[in-house]
Amino acid sequence: MKNLARKAVLLSLVENLRDRKSWCSETHIQKTVYFLQTLLRVPLGFDFILYKHGPYSFELSDEIMLMRTDSFIKLIPQQPYGPSLTSGDRGELLKNNFPKTIDKYKKQVKFIAEQLGDQKVSKLEKVATALYVTEERSKMSRTEMAQRIHKLKKHVSVAEGEEALKDVEKIKKAAKKLAS
Amino acid sequence: MKKNWHEFRDPIHVFIRVSTDERKIIDSRPFQRLRHIHQLAMTNLVYHGATHKRFEHSLGVMELASRIFDVITNLNNIHDVAREIIPPEPSELSYWRGVLRIAALCHDLGHLPFSHAAEYDLLPDGWNHEKFTVNLIKSDEMEKIWKEIRPIPSSDDIAQIAVGFDKSKLDDLERADWKTILSEIITGKAFGADRIDYLLRDSLHTGVAYGKFDHYRLIDTLRILPQSNDDSSELSLGVEDGGIHSVEALLLARYFMFKQLYFHHVRRIYDIHLKEFLKEWLPGGVFSTELEGHLKMTDNEVNSAILEATHNDSLSEHEPAKRIVERKHFKLLYEPNQRGLKSLKPGKIFSQKAKKELGENTIIYDSYSEKGTRTNFPVLTKSEKIRSFEEITRTLSMDKPLVANGEYVFVSPEKFEEAKKWRDKNLEQILASEEREGEE
Repeated sequence: MKNLARKAVLLSLVENLRDRKSWCSETHIQKTVYFLQTLLRVPLGFDFILYKHGPYSFELSDEIMLMRTDSFIKLIPQQPYGPSLTSGDRGELLKNNFPKTIDKYKKQVKFIAEQLGDQKVSKLEKVATALYVTEERSKMSRTEMAQRIHKLKKHVSVAEGEEALKDVEKIKKAAKKLAS
Repeated sequence: MKKNWHEFRDPIHVFIRVSTDERKIIDSRPFQRLRHIHQLAMTNLVYHGATHKRFEHSLGVMELASRIFDVITNLNNIHDVAREIIPPEPSELSYWRGVLRIAALCHDLGHLPFSHAAEYDLLPDGWNHEKFTVNLIKSDEMEKIWKEIRPIPSSDDIAQIAVGFDKSKLDDLERADWKTILSEIITGKAFGADRIDYLLRDSLHTGVAYGKFDHYRLIDTLRILPQSNDDSSELSLGVEDGGIHSVEALLLARYFMFKQLYFHHVRRIYDIHLKEFLKEWLPGGVFSTELEGHLKMTDNEVNSAILEATHNDSLSEHEPAKRIVERKHFKLLYEPNQRGLKSLKPGKIFSQKAKKELGENTIIYDSYSEKGTRTNFPVLTKSEKIRSFEEITRTLSMDKPLVANGEYVFVSPEKFEEAKKWRDKNLEQILASEEREGEE
């Protein structure tokens, strides 16, 4: 996907998340983009690694900064948690340039916003890590995967890992319906 | 009495002291090679003082990383939340301080000739200078040195801390939180030792004074802090309230340095001509990914080849070599500087029209953007609350971060006068058009 078209999809995601009353911090964008790419195969092309608290893309973080510099999105204060992202002064201009691209991925963006938009950061970190492990170790049992999550993230207990894996299974099931 | 410490005089840090063990690393072949890699590629063709090398920068990063480590692990400076990740045993803490210093020394070992200038287009997919750095740290040649050091440092630990978890591609997540903090000390996107040293050093050598800031105050106020007051327990480097002005000064310095120096249009076009030269000169148009080939290739080899090619017009690399040596570089024809334009990439649209009118090979389009800047780090307020820097800074705008980006359109010097006339006649009309870049 071309760089500006990719920015248009990200802007569409920001707007959809806000429609779902999401806090819409950078962490929300990081984890929901990971789901968009990995689960729904939206070809955004970000390279994710398993970082301190779940999948993270440094390239995506750069992209968010550049989108702010170009006024496609902006930060607004949101106490007590910290700033959140919203559409910027040049957001409309970006959207007007890429109507077909936005329309092509509208269904997937809306789905992810509905599934994850209202989640807290700690929950997002757990489910995104659970998705990472299911992609990485697809032949493991759920318990083995939960143990793997705990090994990777000491602050996530095995029981919490199992819960997160169940959540991912539910989202995957719903995503299959979306595709059909 | 046998001397266990050795000093290097340094224009930024005055004295940099190293142990006998650390000197073994400095005397190694991979590290000595850095004496022949310019920190700022061909910038000395624009700012003549910019002849400094990766060698002294690497020593400077080690010095600063040690100072940061000592501040953030000082018992008086440890935030309650950070206590659990800091190793409690003095011997363990001492091991990690040693590994950090080695990682800082080694963080640039993998740089190609002329540093970043040629990295992105002249390596096979999946390769970058960090991968060379990791491979060198884990090479037999360096493993022999690690085994002579006491306590023996793990090459995996060194590699992860030197280039960061994201770039090391090593799957060892043991002590991940702690190692991430150590890596942040070197590679941190807000105020890592790498960043602090290169801004100060580049500023000194180029004479561009904008790069200076109060790094003493900044380092004294660095702390390991929770990322925010939310329900995540993520830790990162942040500052105490008293360090805010020094961070603001660093961020401003970085922005000015990018605008004035790193993205200077003549520097950019020399990078482009250098890449044109290398694509023709290198076997297969790419650098070798073999470590031995990497170690043998420095700026010196490339400079010799450029000079030779200038005198031999039968070589395919003759033209870009001549443009570099004889200062016949492409000239700046257009740089968009107007807001509110209908096009999102006016430079690109302009260059497409210019190519049609003036010839494909007479126009070069270049777009640039600063990578890796972070301003969402935590600040510990006087009331012991965690706030995001972006929310409390009064000097910098939260709406619009200071990140340098833009576009240049260059034209060959032979066509410059003709192109200027064409630009002056057509620019307004081109910018007023609603032409869009295609979708996917």
